[in-house]
Amino acid sequence: MSPVESRDLPCLEVLSSIVFIVEGALSESPHAAAIESHLYACPNCQAEISHERTMHDLLQIVLRRSCDEKAPEDLHEQLHQQLLAQMNAHQVNFTEIVTQFSMTEISIEIDEFGQVEHREIQIQSTHEYRITEDEE
Amino acid sequence: MTSTELVRESAADRTTRFERDALVFTDQIYAAALRYTKNPEDARDLVQDTYLKAFTSFHQFEEGTNLRAWLYRVLTTTFINSYRKSQRQPQISNIEIDDWQLSSTASHTSDLGKSAEVEALEKLPDSDIKRALQDIPEEFRIAVYLADVEGFSYKEIAEIVGAPTGTVMSRLHRGRKQLRERLTTYAKELGYGTEVSS
Repeated sequence: MSPVESRDLPCLEVLSSIVFIVEGALSESPHAAAIESHLYACPNCQAEISHERTMHDLLQIVLRRSCDEKAPEDLHEQLHQQLLAQMNAHQVNFTEIVTQFSMTEISIEIDEFGQVEHREIQIQSTHEYRITEDEE
Repeated sequence: MTSTELVRESAADRTTRFERDALVFTDQIYAAALRYTKNPEDARDLVQDTYLKAFTSFHQFEEGTNLRAWLYRVLTTTFINSYRKSQRQPQISNIEIDDWQLSSTASHTSDLGKSAEVEALEKLPDSDIKRALQDIPEEFRIAVYLADVEGFSYKEIAEIVGAPTGTVMSRLHRGRKQLRERLTTYAKELGYGTEVSS
């Protein structure tokens, strides 16, 4: 065990790492092992962590409940129209934009009828082409 | 078995894909925009600007990576670059970085303090929860919202807001702390938590 890990930490130092513990990121702390062994032996810090977890969960519940506004109905339609206008604006400048992917098939599963059941691909590169009317 | 083939996607196909994969998040993006801007008119404009920018650079978005996180990054960047300027909000200073471990009052909470905090969260109405969130500094609010409402990890939040993970941790820690302090204060004002529970 390294000197850092074996050093006994004061409660203060453990409590200042609470956010890492609650976020499940304790392993990223250089004092992770020392914090864990402190927690094992210190009922006060255990109670504190348990309270922090409760508060963290409760806070998430009330925040999610409170912040669930739906977008106004007409905003959905407006976004759809905006999208169509954007697409058409592109097509005025150049007949068509074509995106070409280069991909590799990693695995493929075919059932007894020869139908593809599962297919895994990896995309290596993406190129965008603008095809003008002259080329068409 | 490996083989290489080329897939072509036209502008129309891309529009369909965008509509299918990105516009499904409209409600979520709007709710986030409301928390960012604090008012429905600006939230609406921000959502439209976000989708405008997202579609313009959608061809650069790599399929298979997290589209939702990418949209939140566009939303957050758009908000910081355009809306914050016009709203003229005071920003928290750079002192926030890394001073939190020293400044946080890391002491054990009394049982009474713990039950008052829990009671505040259990009893306060949604309007007070939203008011408290609105009242904490913007960087804290964004970090807490992304983590606790949207469920992004601190690493994802670092990508979304363009800040180091240590800074995100600091904002989460301090943001939640301030939020809880405000909620406990509101609860006291409403008369909760004044009885000593055994």
